[in-house]
Amino acid sequence: MKLRNNSSRNGHLSEEIDHLRKYSLNRNRKFTIEQLNKPVSFWIKKERLLNEIGKEFTIILRTKGCYWALEHAGCSMCGYIEDANIDNVNSQQVINQFNYALDKKLEEINSDKCSYVLKIFNSGSFFDDNEISEDIRCHIYKRISIIPNIKEVTIETRVEFINKNVLKEMQKYLENKYVELGIGLESVDDYIRNNYINKNLLFDDFIRVTKLSHEMGIGIKAYLLFKPPFLNEQGAIDDCVHSIKTLLNFNIDTISINPCNIQKGSLVEYLWNQKRYRPPWFYSLFESFKEALKQEDFERVRILCDPSGSGSKRGIHNCSSKECNGNMKEILQNFILNQDLRELDSLDSECICKKKYDIQKYQN
Amino acid sequence: MITTISILKKFIDFVNINLTAEIINCIIMIHFFELIKNGIGLSRIGKIKIHKSSKKSIYTPNIIIPFKQFFSNNAEFIDSFGCHDIFIISEEKYLKEEILNKRFGESFFLYTHYGTLQKFQEILEEKKEIFHNSNIIPIIPFNIPTISINKKFSENEIKNHLKNIEIILKDNPNINFGLSIKIYKDFDLFNLYISLIENNINIKILNFIDLFKNLTYYRRIIDLIKDIKENLDNNLVLMASGTIISNYLPILVYFGFDLVDSSYSLLISSNNLYESIETLLPISKIKFLPCSCLSCEGKLSKLLGEKHSTEKIDLLCYHNLLTIKNYMNKTVQYLHTEDFRNFVEKSSLNNPNFISLLRIFDKAYYNFTKNYSQLNQKNKIINCLGPSSYYRPDFNYFRNKINENFEPESWTKLIVLFPCSAKKPYSLSKSHKKFLKILRKIPEFPAIQEIILTSPLGLIPRQLEDIYPAHSYDIPVTGDWDNEEIKISSKMLIRVLNKFNKDIPIICHLNGRYLDIVNQTEKEIEHKFFYTDMKEHPTSNDSLDHLNILIQKHISSYLPDASITKENYLSNTWLRKFKKIIDFQFGSGLGTLLINNEIKYRKNKLHTKIEIFNSNTKSIIGNFEISSGKIQLAIKGAEKIAFEKDFLKYIVFDGSNISGNTLFRPGIIDFSSDLYTNDNVCIFDKEKKNVIGMGNMIVSSEFIKNTTSGRVVKLYEIKK
Repeated sequence: MKLRNNSSRNGHLSEEIDHLRKYSLNRNRKFTIEQLNKPVSFWIKKERLLNEIGKEFTIILRTKGCYWALEHAGCSMCGYIEDANIDNVNSQQVINQFNYALDKKLEEINSDKCSYVLKIFNSGSFFDDNEISEDIRCHIYKRISIIPNIKEVTIETRVEFINKNVLKEMQKYLENKYVELGIGLESVDDYIRNNYINKNLLFDDFIRVTKLSHEMGIGIKAYLLFKPPFLNEQGAIDDCVHSIKTLLNFNIDTISINPCNIQKGSLVEYLWNQKRYRPPWFYSLFESFKEALKQEDFERVRILCDPSGSGSKRGIHNCSSKECNGNMKEILQNFILNQDLRELDSLDSECICKKKYDIQKYQN
Repeated sequence: MITTISILKKFIDFVNINLTAEIINCIIMIHFFELIKNGIGLSRIGKIKIHKSSKKSIYTPNIIIPFKQFFSNNAEFIDSFGCHDIFIISEEKYLKEEILNKRFGESFFLYTHYGTLQKFQEILEEKKEIFHNSNIIPIIPFNIPTISINKKFSENEIKNHLKNIEIILKDNPNINFGLSIKIYKDFDLFNLYISLIENNINIKILNFIDLFKNLTYYRRIIDLIKDIKENLDNNLVLMASGTIISNYLPILVYFGFDLVDSSYSLLISSNNLYESIETLLPISKIKFLPCSCLSCEGKLSKLLGEKHSTEKIDLLCYHNLLTIKNYMNKTVQYLHTEDFRNFVEKSSLNNPNFISLLRIFDKAYYNFTKNYSQLNQKNKIINCLGPSSYYRPDFNYFRNKINENFEPESWTKLIVLFPCSAKKPYSLSKSHKKFLKILRKIPEFPAIQEIILTSPLGLIPRQLEDIYPAHSYDIPVTGDWDNEEIKISSKMLIRVLNKFNKDIPIICHLNGRYLDIVNQTEKEIEHKFFYTDMKEHPTSNDSLDHLNILIQKHISSYLPDASITKENYLSNTWLRKFKKIIDFQFGSGLGTLLINNEIKYRKNKLHTKIEIFNSNTKSIIGNFEISSGKIQLAIKGAEKIAFEKDFLKYIVFDGSNISGNTLFRPGIIDFSSDLYTNDNVCIFDKEKKNVIGMGNMIVSSEFIKNTTSGRVVKLYEIKK
């Protein structure tokens, strides 16, 4: 498959993403009724909660998919539309998906001494009625509200679906829990966000909903994309440092750094196949943390980072050595769980790839 | 500073312009690069003064060494690179007075940042003092986007980038900058940069990133370089960075790059590649280290069989950087003292794309190149390697000048074609001595026009055998000419012979493939050809006897115009030569105005020049310089031809008297468009009524047109 050379819309990135997306959607298989009644995935694992180490219970729901990807090509690094059904998934099916996961894990959660954060992801916007209707949302809120061990709830949504009404409705059911809205801000730089990621979001709009959420006692979790396409390693560090520092000034509650990974059907995958994009190095990520954060910052912000595919060639990685990547993953996990910068300097011996990285970082 | 101002004052007195202090300061700031000498092709030797207060200058071309942490920690590195002229810093931590002005105070620095432009801007703001007061120039980076997906994308990105850069430049008018230029695959997008560069005089260096990464775009690369030279100030320093290894250096210098960033050597080291100049070898393959640097002689040789390690990469970095540094030294050495073009041709064999670049450049861009290339060299043997040498700019220039400026002597009765000889000038060779012995026996010897056929110059009339490059080229002689050589010579022969009356007989004392040239020529022209009966070879007694017979037979078969007077007729070989050399240098017909039978000449004691003077008035017309094959006209000589309307080697000076030994650009108010590097040039006063000086061009008309400062003429005589 090739990119079209003569883009009629002034070379805008979205045209190219759209083209790749259509190609990918055309070969999208249909999901069976059984699949539509079960979530894409769900799991429990260790996670950093606001003030303690706890566990996360994550449920990934299958819906019709992100409207931004379906109607406007979507973001350059995103391939989640591959998990979506494209056609509508009816309300009952989504409820069934949620119930299925929760019922399977409810006993474990209830009997656990740990506190939990429940993360409900639908690879789109939780507040988009076309993906998750009000009925579904209320059902979910009601069920969560009676589980005492779930202390925090995180959902994800695009900014355009956040308004007073949806927040009020959420607060009504979940007032005893800490609720956080995950927003894919990706970068505080409007140019990078909109020209290299095709996010169609302005920082001002993000700040507007942040204020609104904070007024209503709801927290904000900003996702930052670490090393978007078209950025090099040092550029990624600069962008991430700049973003973290800016978000600290706006009192964002949680900053979740997502090192870019190679998702199917995305523009990033296309570039990666041509060896024109490499996922970031762990070293760059660690350097960003060290440069952007001071230990006292952790008193007012939570930093999260749980990279998909880390250590593999499609995810954040250093060299091809399992040992090297394994060490890095462990350091990262300890840093996140303990929210302690000292963890980043805890490596006993440096891999030879650090030398290569130091050289290659300073190249065009 | 005092020195700078005093020099400037002298300069102002010299150019006779009344400048205000404001303009003086402005000129001090503008002065950054000075062209010292053009080399062949677009190559040039120049001088950079990064900071107005610095005493030292660096000379270009030069290699830029990346300044890294290991550098300052490693004794071997400090020994080998510590005194290097120019470094590039890419880490903020080195932007310290202590490093820049003290520890490495003798060196110059460039600073760039490999991340976002925004971060670069922050650093610039924070370290403003350093950029104002140290020997350092910030290079505005262009790292993001790393790649492009299509032309529109590139265009939008470049436009956006330039918008941001404009702000940086305007906010810092007192800092000189380098500008990184990225065009992705779309070379015409360079046009987007032009107005920004033109409008911001604080841009001093153009840093082309990865211009030579894909050498298969050779035509587009050349077009871009042509654009730069023709549309932008020629005093801008051209820098190449990105994918560059040692064997690129000669070609980069040939194409006019003044600075080359060697940072890529570190990258290849990190990929375990060993720089052997010709190519890059995986270190795992190496069994015989072809180098004696501290690294190769020392630890690297012991680590060859070992697993890759940090130490091994460090050692490779050392070797690879040292290799590229040394190779740049070699390149610059050849540029200064040897036939640089020959070196470029030889080194181009390392990469077929270099050969394509050179060939296309020679053949299709000559009219552009001649404006920047040195077209005459002194004291050098010009070795021709083969097809890659055929169209070198100085050879093309020579052929064109003969085609355009050589006119037959009016008294010519016979033309004889001879083969060339290995020894130059030809008349000193054994074979030509024998030919001349036959010819000189003929009483009407001066009426014989000798033409020597040769490759790759085409042909050389006997009168021009002492000029460059006829007097100094060398080519392997096997007698086996290729079709291109035959084509070059026959084309030229047709053109030159057509200038002669069609009734003048032509005797061909030739054999072998030389005859193919004549055969092709014979078909195209009306002259009658007669061939000597060649026995064995042209110098055999039988062949020479037959040549003699043929000459005797045909010398009187054509009678030139009876109106030729004694004054016009030149019988002296050197006078015949001088006349044609003046035609060659200054234009057809001008030799007649200068050279007549009143003219005498004498060699100096060292036999380095021949003084040409009028025997009646004793005034010196000029000097023929044997090493360059050029006549340097004296003012007295120039006055005789300079006011002719066809005389195109002049510059009009903004004043009535000139002093000093160099003419600078600001003193020039008018100039001919036909001036090339090394041309002998006449300086007129403001009114264009008097010749007030004579000199040799340092640059060309094109350079004068495209610059506002710099040296233009090296003067050797001024009117007192």
